[in-house]
Amino acid sequence: MGLKDDLDRYREVGEQRRQDLSEFIQYGDLGQSRPDSVKVPIKIVDLPEFAYDKRDEGGVGQGDAEAGDPVDAQPQPADDGDEDGDPGEEGGEHEYYEMDPEEFAQELDEQLGLDLEPKGKKVIEEKEGDFTDITRSGPTSTLDFERLFKQGLKRKLAMDFDRDYVREALKVDGWGPAKVFEWARGENMPVSRAWIEDAYDEIPAGEKTTWESIEEMEANTERVDTARRIRREGIDQVPFRREDERYRYPEIVEEREKNVVVVNIRDVSGSMRQKKRELVERTFTPLDWYLQGKYDNAEFVYIAHDADAWEVERDEFFGIRSGGGTRISSAYDLAAELLEEYPWSDWNRYVFAAGDSENSSNDTEEHVIPLMEQIPANLHAYVETQPSGNAINATHAEEVERSFRSADNVAVAYVSSPDDVVDAIYEILSTEDDQ
Amino acid sequence: MSRPLHDRIEAQRIAADLEEPVDEAGNLARKFGLDPYEVNYWIVDYDEMNELIAYGGFQQRYPHWRWGMQYDRQQKQSQFLGGKAFEIVNNDDPSHAFLQESNTISDQKAVITHVEAHADFFANNEWFGMFAGWASQRDADSADGERRTRSPNAAAMLARHADAIEAFMTDPDIERGAVEKWIDHVLTLEDNIDQHQPYEPIDTRIDLIDEHDTADVAEQLEELDLSDEVKGQVFTEEWLDAQADDEDVTTFPAEPEKDVLGFLRKHGMQYDGDAAKAAEMDDWQKDILEMLRREAYYFAPQKMTKVMNEGWAAFWESAMMTGETFAGDDEFVLYADHMAKVLGSSGLNPYSLGLEIWQYVENSTNRREVVERLLRVEDVTWRNFHDTIDFDHVQELLEPDPEMASVGTHLEDLDPDDPRVDAEALDRAQSGDLDVETYPWKVLTTEGLAERHYSLTKPQNRGFVSRVSQEELERVSRYMFDEARYASVEEALADIDYARGWDRMREIRESHNDVTFLDEFLTQEFVDENEYFTYEYTQSTGDYRVTSTDYRDVKKKLMLQFTNFGKPTVVVEDGNYNNRNELLLSHLYNGVMIDMKQAKDTLKRVFELWGRPVNLKTIVKEFDEHDVEVAKRRDREPEPEEVGRLLRYDGDEVTIEELPWDAVEHLAADDIDYDTKPDEWLA
Repeated sequence: MGLKDDLDRYREVGEQRRQDLSEFIQYGDLGQSRPDSVKVPIKIVDLPEFAYDKRDEGGVGQGDAEAGDPVDAQPQPADDGDEDGDPGEEGGEHEYYEMDPEEFAQELDEQLGLDLEPKGKKVIEEKEGDFTDITRSGPTSTLDFERLFKQGLKRKLAMDFDRDYVREALKVDGWGPAKVFEWARGENMPVSRAWIEDAYDEIPAGEKTTWESIEEMEANTERVDTARRIRREGIDQVPFRREDERYRYPEIVEEREKNVVVVNIRDVSGSMRQKKRELVERTFTPLDWYLQGKYDNAEFVYIAHDADAWEVERDEFFGIRSGGGTRISSAYDLAAELLEEYPWSDWNRYVFAAGDSENSSNDTEEHVIPLMEQIPANLHAYVETQPSGNAINATHAEEVERSFRSADNVAVAYVSSPDDVVDAIYEILSTEDDQ
Repeated sequence: MSRPLHDRIEAQRIAADLEEPVDEAGNLARKFGLDPYEVNYWIVDYDEMNELIAYGGFQQRYPHWRWGMQYDRQQKQSQFLGGKAFEIVNNDDPSHAFLQESNTISDQKAVITHVEAHADFFANNEWFGMFAGWASQRDADSADGERRTRSPNAAAMLARHADAIEAFMTDPDIERGAVEKWIDHVLTLEDNIDQHQPYEPIDTRIDLIDEHDTADVAEQLEELDLSDEVKGQVFTEEWLDAQADDEDVTTFPAEPEKDVLGFLRKHGMQYDGDAAKAAEMDDWQKDILEMLRREAYYFAPQKMTKVMNEGWAAFWESAMMTGETFAGDDEFVLYADHMAKVLGSSGLNPYSLGLEIWQYVENSTNRREVVERLLRVEDVTWRNFHDTIDFDHVQELLEPDPEMASVGTHLEDLDPDDPRVDAEALDRAQSGDLDVETYPWKVLTTEGLAERHYSLTKPQNRGFVSRVSQEELERVSRYMFDEARYASVEEALADIDYARGWDRMREIRESHNDVTFLDEFLTQEFVDENEYFTYEYTQSTGDYRVTSTDYRDVKKKLMLQFTNFGKPTVVVEDGNYNNRNELLLSHLYNGVMIDMKQAKDTLKRVFELWGRPVNLKTIVKEFDEHDVEVAKRRDREPEPEEVGRLLRYDGDEVTIEELPWDAVEHLAADDIDYDTKPDEWLA
């Protein structure tokens, strides 16, 4: 018992309370999110109750106001900090679970059963990797000192011999430098002839006959090996040699960048009213997030069109509404032009178009379909948003579907209400997944 | 949670510092005419305070995630009080109040005075009395002397519940998850009790016997637990209908039942998912239902009087802190800051609403006293009132006597026989045993203090008397009969009752709840002075717009937020709906729709407590799309059509059916139209 346990329980419950992704996409408030941060609402108050419909309820406020003035609705009586034993019950506030596009893409994959692998295109970039390569020359700062030292130490050890032992050998009666030299070499001691002769001269005359034989010498003299000697005496010098110098150098890593450009096309003509616009937003926004999450580098191009096409910023894209007629090919013309900046060899491309399938006569067959064939892309898609079912002239989606039945990079989806949005997204993304 | 920390030296030190303010606050509150429960003060640290708040003011509650949620929210809303939770006090006799150890002395004093006022409210408001049948001492001492000895014993009760539920959760024979779920189900109906009735525990045996006589045969059949096949062969539909016709079947329940939780406790069943049918509730389920129902009844009065209570506490806190400079001179600025934070939050603030109404009650009652007397002055009538009365002069005459205003400097002038003077205290003051500088109020009685703190002469209320309306003047004179006339204004105001405002306030804090409080005292004047307005969602603009500043509209809208805990009233209409023991709930529609999504979810929970299909009858407003388009184009509001709906959940799916108007007509009883949109806006 205790607050800690209750807090843990709440955390568990809270996790489950996160609005599930489908619900969020189809009905949720997309407005709190940004292109690179997806905010999915978590409702704080979880247990349902019989309550008034918030909108129908209205409310009371305080301030200098007149009928007609807009109100920033904060309907409930404010919650107070000092309670006298009243468990709080006002509610419906939202908190947000924030995720970046990568996580969003992962979750959507899970939910829709997809697993889109972003393709690395041929944009190869030479990147400097770790400093693991070694060369024999370079700037001083990259000198591998450790290696140099180790080499020097090895040399030292290799050239080391027990000097005292050899001196003792020189004290054997009848053994001169030549004889000792021969003997030492036989013992694998790297001593030089010159050194022996110098050492011989240094020995006082009386000691030159200390030992009667080499055997006697060996029996009475301790031979100390290198390691012990060093441990006892230490090393005062480690020889560094030029030829031991090594310099570190960065590895060249070849990176294939996963780029994507997403072209969003929307029919903004008079017939595209509020409901249709909202459906487009609910379909395109998650697609954009998904692709952004899957690819390293995502760029977005927004094209609005009626009878003509023009490029717009993301902010304006969903809200624009013009009055004119519709000619979808204008958008594809513009798209083709803009895509020259993003060559197919280097960029993954997605071209998504949405509208209510209305188009000028023959434009679909004569212009749009050929253009779609000419523009190479990972995926072309058309989303028909037609809330009230099929209108008479609205055949664009059908025609596209018919023409590209055998193609594997064209998807057509139909959305007539928010309920259809997730299916449409699935339809589109799974088309590429099946490729 | 750990015990309050007497053991810590730090805590003790603070406690010692506060002993005097605690004692004196209690004394001062009583001098003001209040009569609080005894309060036990505890010093707690920041974490303990947050725990207490999460638990609703108590140290121990049953294990549940809602406390974690409250804790979480409390953390996030700390911007409201600048990160500090000042105090918490609970409704019990004696009350327990918890002070945060890190508060400044000034804050602590403010808190203590606030707490005393709350304790007075708990002790005297009759709605609180309904739970336990009143606390002990008070009524023993009161005029009618009826001895009611039970105090709510709240802390003990909640702790008992906590232990019992914890025991269920750790019982190896009971699945812990099932217990948690069961609690969740019951909590969705927390406010579906009959809060206007005293709490009566359910004694199942007695109730069952009554019902049994009039129960439908079909119900008895359920209890026989025959297989469907057998039932189908022998007890055909025709046979059952025939039985039903024979019996003198009264509706069950006889009257629509507002205590839904109680009804479910008596007649509900659990749903056995595996067997796919209803089964009698286990003992632990019945116990939990009743415990949570009891807690709901315990907390109901607090929910019903939030505005009044908070306003009351703020009012007396201010009277004590600034009026009687309970706050030291140096502490005063801190206190002003404290109050600013409390009252300054945006949105509808129960503190400020409550406080404003109490101040208004005080002023208008005092003003009534003044007006009644002035209207009895020779040659003054309600018609010529504003022309003949010199209001500045009146204000002068109303000023408290100097001996009341500054007691210390007039000690010698005070008369022990003066009803405004506390003779015994005066004696002590004059002999130097009482610190008059610090405690001038000790020398006075409640009457004296009432004059000392008279509202109408305070700077911010200077013009209140002069603003009295013609309507009010006319109304007052209507109820004045042949009474002696005063020769002059001076004479009229000579022995004015300064305490009338406070007396009236005390009466009100006994008898009213938020709904009656608002209903009675929200006048146009109040709404204007405090700039209240109503707002609604408008279709034409797709957002919320101010709709009215008329006090009747403001009152209506507030009523909506306070009546029945601000929620739609849902009652049990039929416990044998469709003659198949289905539950039928009805929403008593008052013009505002129920939230359908939540209603569906709640119904699913109700199903778990009933065991058989559950239904909800309601009325919804439908907008014709075409009407909406047309109205929008004309920048007008579309008018909806009201239609009946039946929501139903059978354990599998939720269905919504349209109902003919005559099936729901009885639900739409109210004449009040809660929509405040101006008529000109309507298409």
